[in-house]
Amino acid sequence: MMVMLDLLLDLLLSPWVFVPLVYPGLVSAFALLLFIIWAERKMAGKVQMRYGPLYVLKPLGGIIQLVVDRIRYLFQEPIVPEEADAAAFVLAPIALFTACLLPVVVIPVGPEFYAFRSDISLLAFLALSSLAPAFTVAVGWASSNKFSLIGGLREGYLALAYEVPLVVSALAGAALYGTMDLVEMAEAQSSVWGVCLNPLAALVFLLLVYMETSRFPFEISEAESEIVMGPFTEYSGILYGLCMGASYVKMYALSLLFTVMFLGAWHPLPPPTGTVLDPILPGAVVFAKALAVMLCGTLLRAVYQRYRIDQALKISWHTLTPLSLASLALSALVGVA
Amino acid sequence: MSEAEERTIELLIGPQHPASGHMRLVARVDGDVVVELRPDIGYVHRTVEKLAEVKTYLQVVPLVERPALADTANHNLGYVLAVERLLGVEAPPRAQYLRTVLAEISRIHSHLYGLGILGIMLGSSTAFMWCFNDREPLIDLAQELTGARLTYSYMIPGGVRRDLPPGFAERAEKVFRYLERRLKDYERLYFRNPVVRARTEGVGVLTREDAVRLGVVGPNLRASGVAYDVREADPYEAYPDLDFHVVTREEGDCAARMWVRVDEIRESMRLVREALSKIPDGPILHERFSKAIPPKWREWMEEKRRVKIPAAMVSLRIPPGEALSRVEAARGELTFYLVSDGSPNPYRMRMVTPSFRNVVLFRHLIRDCRVADIPAIYGSLDYFPPEADR
Repeated sequence: MMVMLDLLLDLLLSPWVFVPLVYPGLVSAFALLLFIIWAERKMAGKVQMRYGPLYVLKPLGGIIQLVVDRIRYLFQEPIVPEEADAAAFVLAPIALFTACLLPVVVIPVGPEFYAFRSDISLLAFLALSSLAPAFTVAVGWASSNKFSLIGGLREGYLALAYEVPLVVSALAGAALYGTMDLVEMAEAQSSVWGVCLNPLAALVFLLLVYMETSRFPFEISEAESEIVMGPFTEYSGILYGLCMGASYVKMYALSLLFTVMFLGAWHPLPPPTGTVLDPILPGAVVFAKALAVMLCGTLLRAVYQRYRIDQALKISWHTLTPLSLASLALSALVGVA
Repeated sequence: MSEAEERTIELLIGPQHPASGHMRLVARVDGDVVVELRPDIGYVHRTVEKLAEVKTYLQVVPLVERPALADTANHNLGYVLAVERLLGVEAPPRAQYLRTVLAEISRIHSHLYGLGILGIMLGSSTAFMWCFNDREPLIDLAQELTGARLTYSYMIPGGVRRDLPPGFAERAEKVFRYLERRLKDYERLYFRNPVVRARTEGVGVLTREDAVRLGVVGPNLRASGVAYDVREADPYEAYPDLDFHVVTREEGDCAARMWVRVDEIRESMRLVREALSKIPDGPILHERFSKAIPPKWREWMEEKRRVKIPAAMVSLRIPPGEALSRVEAARGELTFYLVSDGSPNPYRMRMVTPSFRNVVLFRHLIRDCRVADIPAIYGSLDYFPPEADR
């Protein structure tokens, strides 16, 4: 019996199970989802002279408000409209959420702790994360609603415009360290962080993290005052919960990548203490940095309005794409020196 | 189906849409470009004009306030002016000043309401919350004067219901200082926010000629460079005594309409300050009514500084005739036309609200623009469906 338990524990703690399932994978993504939306509402509330979530667990400022909301979503009837393509309508949000979470498996959360290591793990991340917009378009199409259709198409246009500078600025990061292996990239930053070596690439990448995940002022595909809820207009219940959570999970994955590539990953690492803390600490450092990136992104909601889609496309193609190319050149210069 | 029709889809925005208000916008869009937009109004028609025919003259006062909840004082004033013109009386000077003060406070919080709606339509929940929050001190101020937060029914034929409470001017000054400070924050986060500028400047341009031709009124007209304001063109109440200048902008776009409202808030604050410093002493109800009040109640009125509405006003009968009044409400020129046949109820009341005159702009301005410009232009017009539908 004890042997069985030990085996199970070993299996769970082995990186190729722990990373996708617990941290930084599914469990922490869900926990973060509950926290980050609460934090977003709380911060916006502070700026807007109101409380934000308050009454669910009042001593802690309503911190489990989102748990309650999720439970409500779970028990709410998921309505599938008669004219919708039922199979696609149900499956697309699940695929969307999965596609947003999947890239996380590539992220190393410690010098020795990763699900797998590859020379091209950066490319694997980018390839996996670019799957998601296709499912948003599918969501918009399957709903058989004009607002959903417009929202899905908007997402399609924007994804195309955002992917190019995102990939180019990520490649600028790779050129900086001369590798596409995320573990090597992280280790290369033990003394100087990537953001100091190539601030331009870091800035462009960070902006695109926020743009890709519909943060304000680029919350365009779901623009409430224009197209109700964009692609997700017809959704209810837990399917809506998945749709709404997808962009936050994507922000989580991209923030982790940003941390690993530009914010020094787990550096600076305190000296080993010889306790159980040692394997946990690098992961905690990565998480804290990624969380800070996410909190900045969510605070933008309280500051900005919303750009029009043509303006966002123009910003992406006319400003950010040339800037990302320039950052590639900068990386070449810095990398040589 | 023609080729042009095949290219476009019809988008029904509202009445169940987060940004439609109580109306439906039927938009025909080609890709992201709006080819045509038809506003479908009347969802909140409440037969105010017909209802007025079965109510007494005094009962109509709260009735005309209902259509424009954000701007009740000016609607109240417009109706009362028409009744007074029918009667041939004029409120005493102190009452006229008090009416002006309340009308301007109402204008300020109505403009804040409009700016808040524009903010949320552009996607800024902060602008919305700030504007709606900062209406509160003004509403409190009005409550102190009238006893009600929004539906004041403060102006009655021949005067006003209550006198100025002691210390009102100082508290008003405090509120205005607060609002001036806040307007600076607004400028940084909202009016001059690069995103707001990108979304409003050059969007929904209404030329001077079109504004005049379409009969547009209020801030929307003045944002196109036409210096027309009833307060100046046909002064009423205390406005002739006050140093008033008309706020205009030349550009005629959404940003100009927003800025006209912002500047009018500042102008209104100045007007209230001036009116409060100049306010004359004297009665607050016309002799015709105050002499009908029994002496015991007149003492009570002196002591409480408020009016006991006399029976003569409750069952007011007005000699046959007709009267027209115009006031500058927050959203533009408001016209009342009142016909009396000598009975206790108005024979006919016609009420032309500024929103109704501006609804034509939806069709005119929202054309060949982007889908995202629909809420931006809608918000900049400060259009209020219940006011238009009456």
